[in-house]
Amino acid sequence: MSAYNANWSLMTPEIVLGILALVIFTIDFMTGVKGKKPFLGRMSIIALLVTAVLVYINRGAGTIADIFIVDHFSTMFKIILLVGVAIVIAISMHYLDKNDDVYQGEFYSLMLFAALGAMLMVSSADLITLYIGLELLSISSYCLAGFKKHNRKSTEGAIKYVVLGGTASAFILYGMSFLYGLTGTTSIIDISQVISSLYVDYPFIVVMSILFMLAGFGFKISIVPFHMWAPDVYEGSPTPVTAFLSVVSKIAGFAIVLRVFFTTFLGSEGVLYDEWTWIIAIIATVTMIVGNLIALTQKNIKRLMAYSGVAQAGYLLVPIAAIFIPSYSIGVIIFYSIVYVFMTLGAFAIITLVTEDSGRDDFSSFSGLYKRSPYMAIAMSVFLLGLAGLPLTAGFVGKAWIFISAAQAGMLWLAGVMFVTSVISFYYYFGVIKQMFMNEPNPNDVELKAPLSISVVVTIALAVTIILGVLPGLMIDWIAYIQW
Amino acid sequence: MVPITLYLSLAAILFCVGLYGVLTRRHLVIVLASVELMLNAVNINLVAFSSIGPYADITGQVFTLFIISVAAAEVAVGLAILIALYRNRESIDVIKHDLLRW
Amino acid sequence: MGLGVYFDNYIFVLLFMFLGVALPVGALTFGRLVRPNNPYPTKLTTYESGIEPTGDAQVRYHVAYYIVALEFVIFDVETVFLYPWAVALGELGWVGLNAGLIFIAILGLGLAYSWKKKVLEWN
Repeated sequence: MSAYNANWSLMTPEIVLGILALVIFTIDFMTGVKGKKPFLGRMSIIALLVTAVLVYINRGAGTIADIFIVDHFSTMFKIILLVGVAIVIAISMHYLDKNDDVYQGEFYSLMLFAALGAMLMVSSADLITLYIGLELLSISSYCLAGFKKHNRKSTEGAIKYVVLGGTASAFILYGMSFLYGLTGTTSIIDISQVISSLYVDYPFIVVMSILFMLAGFGFKISIVPFHMWAPDVYEGSPTPVTAFLSVVSKIAGFAIVLRVFFTTFLGSEGVLYDEWTWIIAIIATVTMIVGNLIALTQKNIKRLMAYSGVAQAGYLLVPIAAIFIPSYSIGVIIFYSIVYVFMTLGAFAIITLVTEDSGRDDFSSFSGLYKRSPYMAIAMSVFLLGLAGLPLTAGFVGKAWIFISAAQAGMLWLAGVMFVTSVISFYYYFGVIKQMFMNEPNPNDVELKAPLSISVVVTIALAVTIILGVLPGLMIDWIAYIQW
Repeated sequence: MVPITLYLSLAAILFCVGLYGVLTRRHLVIVLASVELMLNAVNINLVAFSSIGPYADITGQVFTLFIISVAAAEVAVGLAILIALYRNRESIDVIKHDLLRW
Repeated sequence: MGLGVYFDNYIFVLLFMFLGVALPVGALTFGRLVRPNNPYPTKLTTYESGIEPTGDAQVRYHVAYYIVALEFVIFDVETVFLYPWAVALGELGWVGLNAGLIFIAILGLGLAYSWKKKVLEWN
């Protein structure tokens, strides 16, 4: 099927989001460069939600000329990502209200372009489309990370991100170039059909290209040993951008790891099954241990969230390593992704509120939060305990399902590592909770008033965390029976 | 005819030189140039495969065009951030940028 | 192709390395041997019988140069797509023409943005 007679209507949500992003970009620079523009934030949220609805309406399966694929998997991940970006924009509206030195409109249009890149990535069935989506997401993220251009930490974090991100892209491309050379095609579907015979003829080159691509994607999802950029960039970036990086970049990266590796390297008769499982299992173990142990020593809330995010990436790798049935693993990962998005974004909404109020981002800015704003303190505790995996929160259900899937696949030791490291993680999350409830507020901190956008985000995230924790059957039954 | 292994070894050497530069050089402009070197190693690989590879076709060259243009955008953003960094710190020496650690 | 053939091919690399080093070194040495050597002050100036250079060689470039250079890099590289598009336009037909025009329109939007941000003004 050529590009001419393909069913381009499958791409409607992407095209609509692209046009809306360009419109918002144009409105921004036509209305003057400086000044506060909250209406652009509202427009961006509406654009993202409209796109999410279009994605849902457009969910029928199909491909465009082997370069673009729409299926349940991509639809689900796109909706998660779009809702995630919409929540991040709601958080950033408060942030931009407090910081009027940054260019407001550009912030929103960069977020929208990044969302478009993430959507392209999730739907790509071709290495070129995948690369374009990845770079659209990455380049927008570089700009966002350095958005406070008069702040030393922000620019330093951004330059580290650019250099290391560019290196990671080069690794991915180097791996891809060998896959192309051995098959003569860049279509993931076509590659998956010949990969098993290829592995028999050229085992060394195939494994090498897998490892190169794994190193590059591992950087994007910040797994050990490719995680070193994450804490620095997270600390330097504006707080909503930190939320964006830890949710949208990471989930989009996981979606593409699943797409590429499940279709390309597992799709055909499981020739590479054993090698693949062991590589991922070892990386997952190291990621969970290192992420949780280094998080114990952190004194800065954004760095703590960075290492906690590294540990969460480790948990998400467990079902990829322990493939019992591929479609079952995908269900587990999608459930945990949804839970992770809401818990992390809820926590970051409160972190933005508190750090922008006090101007500092170490733990002490949280001290006595319960006396300043009881609702925010309780909500923050729920999010942190959810990330740690306390029963009756959605985080527990997600982790338990991952645990069960690992046990079913016969990888009990991996499930054991996950259990032990989760117990360790309670310690550092409790450090923050102790600050909020046990300590007295700083003398000059008064009662904390939350703006509407932050309150709404926190309430939605809290509702999802608790409802999915108490009644997980609502979603699990639905996810587990979809044929991915 | 020149065998493809020659092109591949040239690309591998360039990739390693670029990686070495990223890891060791202190001047940030040279670090960015090294990243470009790694991407160009990939371009050599793709063009070699697309002209004399076992399954030669035009796709590799199209991929190369995309890599060239996207890499230009990436390096433009990198240089813009570099200028902002220089205005803040009056230095683009890697060693001196140590605000963020652990 | 066996491993032996693969390693045999390195003879070309070696040959290139040898020639690459030997040619310039040989040419320069040969030139040094045959040319007359007669330096005097006027001959040693930067531009013999030209204008005397003034000022420091290491000048700071104005910051506008960098931004214009960044603009140039981006718009210059995008022509990578326009050349093949222009060459193959006859075969691509209306669909291809429209796709290319959309691409140019998005580029134009970027240009309008930098215009509005006063990047193109030289002060």
